[in-house]
Amino acid sequence: MHLFIQAIILGVLTGGLYALMTSGLTLTFGTMRIINMAQGVFVVCGAYIGFTLFNYLHIDPFLSILVSTPLLFAIGFTLQTFLLKPLRHDAHRLSLLMTWAMAIGLEGILSFIFGTDFRGILTTYQNSSWTIAGYEIPVVRALAFLLSVAILVGMYLLLTRTKFGRSVRAVSQRESAAKLLGVNTDRTAALAFGLGAATAGAAGAMFGLVSSFDPASHYDLIGRLLAICVIGGLGSNAGAIAGAVILALSESLVQAELSPAWSSVPFYVLLIIVLIARPQGLFGVRARGAI
Amino acid sequence: MLSTGTRLRSWILAIGLCVGVAACGTPAPTSSSAATKGPLTIGISVSLTGDFSNTGKAAQLGYQLWASQVNAKGGVLGRQVQLTFADDASSPTQVVTNYQNFISRDNVDLVFGPYSSLLTLAAAKVANRYGYAFVEGAGNGPSVFAAHLPNLIDAGPATAINGAQVWGDYILSLPADQRPKTAAYPSLDDPFSQPAAAALQARFEAAGIKTVYSQIYPAETTSLGGVIAKVASTNPDMVVSGSQDADGWAQVQAMIQQKFNPQFLFMTNGPENPVDFPKNVGAQNTQGIFTSDVWTYNAPIPGNTAFVQAYIAKFGGDPSQIDSTSAQTYAVGQLIEAVAAKTGKIDNATIIATLHQGSYQTVVGVVSVDQYGAPKGSQFLEEWIGGTLTIVYPPNIAEHAPVIPKPVWP
Repeated sequence: MHLFIQAIILGVLTGGLYALMTSGLTLTFGTMRIINMAQGVFVVCGAYIGFTLFNYLHIDPFLSILVSTPLLFAIGFTLQTFLLKPLRHDAHRLSLLMTWAMAIGLEGILSFIFGTDFRGILTTYQNSSWTIAGYEIPVVRALAFLLSVAILVGMYLLLTRTKFGRSVRAVSQRESAAKLLGVNTDRTAALAFGLGAATAGAAGAMFGLVSSFDPASHYDLIGRLLAICVIGGLGSNAGAIAGAVILALSESLVQAELSPAWSSVPFYVLLIIVLIARPQGLFGVRARGAI
Repeated sequence: MLSTGTRLRSWILAIGLCVGVAACGTPAPTSSSAATKGPLTIGISVSLTGDFSNTGKAAQLGYQLWASQVNAKGGVLGRQVQLTFADDASSPTQVVTNYQNFISRDNVDLVFGPYSSLLTLAAAKVANRYGYAFVEGAGNGPSVFAAHLPNLIDAGPATAINGAQVWGDYILSLPADQRPKTAAYPSLDDPFSQPAAAALQARFEAAGIKTVYSQIYPAETTSLGGVIAKVASTNPDMVVSGSQDADGWAQVQAMIQQKFNPQFLFMTNGPENPVDFPKNVGAQNTQGIFTSDVWTYNAPIPGNTAFVQAYIAKFGGDPSQIDSTSAQTYAVGQLIEAVAAKTGKIDNATIIATLHQGSYQTVVGVVSVDQYGAPKGSQFLEEWIGGTLTIVYPPNIAEHAPVIPKPVWP
């Protein structure tokens, strides 16, 4: 039982971070109906920003979020404006290729700047853990979880309580109607894409703390993030959180109780079942506008 | 209807083309000793871009250092060495193209190996097809030797798998009351690490050390918390980690976070990197961790000190930052020099025949290979002691006696 509960603790803590990474993907799909294949590499960019600031300026990776978030927002906004916006007449088909090209391009740039060796960020509290009732709570994962939850709450408030949020929801529900009501849909789309990248930037700085990474880490990340999105429901923030926690929990439990070789299997079996029985995902709806 | 003259010209042209194509397609391996007094041309594919680019560049430095030194001494049998590099972008497809170009287009005298077992295997097959010797320093995975290529020679003292057996030698050399009684084997699904850990497991089980955990985790596993939680729950005396760099760091971090401290901790890969390992797990946490290695900058191997000094003089930097791949590729050149000194010839057939017999001193140790080029020796055992990676076994080259049991994490 001790091992079971320890595995649940580790799974939930990891799930929070994945939820933050996935929320940006969900936002982009909700507003633009674009599956952003570059979300994984945006996370890796955030990790390298955290790594650089920590190693050269001794800025704590949690504080580096204040840099990585606006920087990734700017990158996302720029890429959307110059590379995705011109495709909007055929965005559903071409955007997949374009965002994949962005991912490959950014991976190349990261490889050129940082090389292809694995990197990690080692803070003074990196290996610390709190012992609570005999269970070990890694400090880094706990802080990353709490900060991820805080950012997700902030995202929720932004989307539900602000004018920008109303614009995003309007565009996600019916773009043409939003345009008729005076919403600048192009600007909203660019801001939403930037915001999606910004969440990856924030998550990336924390990802670099809990896991080592290299420029090619995005391949594995985007696979997981897409699977989380699909299982939770494309375009659903609640679904992203649920999918992320299910993924991390199942991996951790199977790793500990059965075999690490099978750790990904239960999640992907569930993914297949969901695709057959409920293709819109656990929290998705068939109509537009889940956000 | 064609005239007789036109038909004759057509036949001559056709025969000429056939002869030309045949000549281009299957060049005989160059017999360098008899051929020319010009430079000794050597083609080498290196990974200057792509996944292996960092280590690929280190491989290039070793080759360049050897060439500059041998040329300063007058060359090989009086012939200046001329290296030609081509970037393979870490691709097994491109590496094949590169070696085909070296051999059939450039007609180089010799070819040397690229970086990684993946590329070595693909490239060595090309060289074998043309009868070229394939001496390489950075491809000693099991798949390379399983191909049974007669032209291959690995310029290292041990294969990736047998190298770790030095840990078995050491543990089984301990008095029975000091040996671990139980062991756990968490291993990465990797062609080097997992077989090495499995070979140790079989040996330890035969010696009576009980296995309490043995699992393989996939390469894409980003969090090893669950794995280490399970290992900790079995409370083994010894952990043998079949690890590479990043997952090795993750294992150590998870052990510290979960306050699990085995008495013996051996990792196949990760701790042998004197720069990255302490940087990623914390220098204070390295104490008492063992690994095996083929080369370090301070290894007491004949010629090693001179190699390190020459490397620093040519490329700068700190000795601890020299990638062992540079030493391994430098050793490739040393083997070629040894063949020239022993036989007075430097053609491909002579290289193949000579290096498959006898043993040769290089900066990575004594090289002696079997019929398929696999090294027969072992690596040496290292332990992190006082923040320094220290050779502790075998006793004849040890800098310090092994410190056991492993102290608790600070």
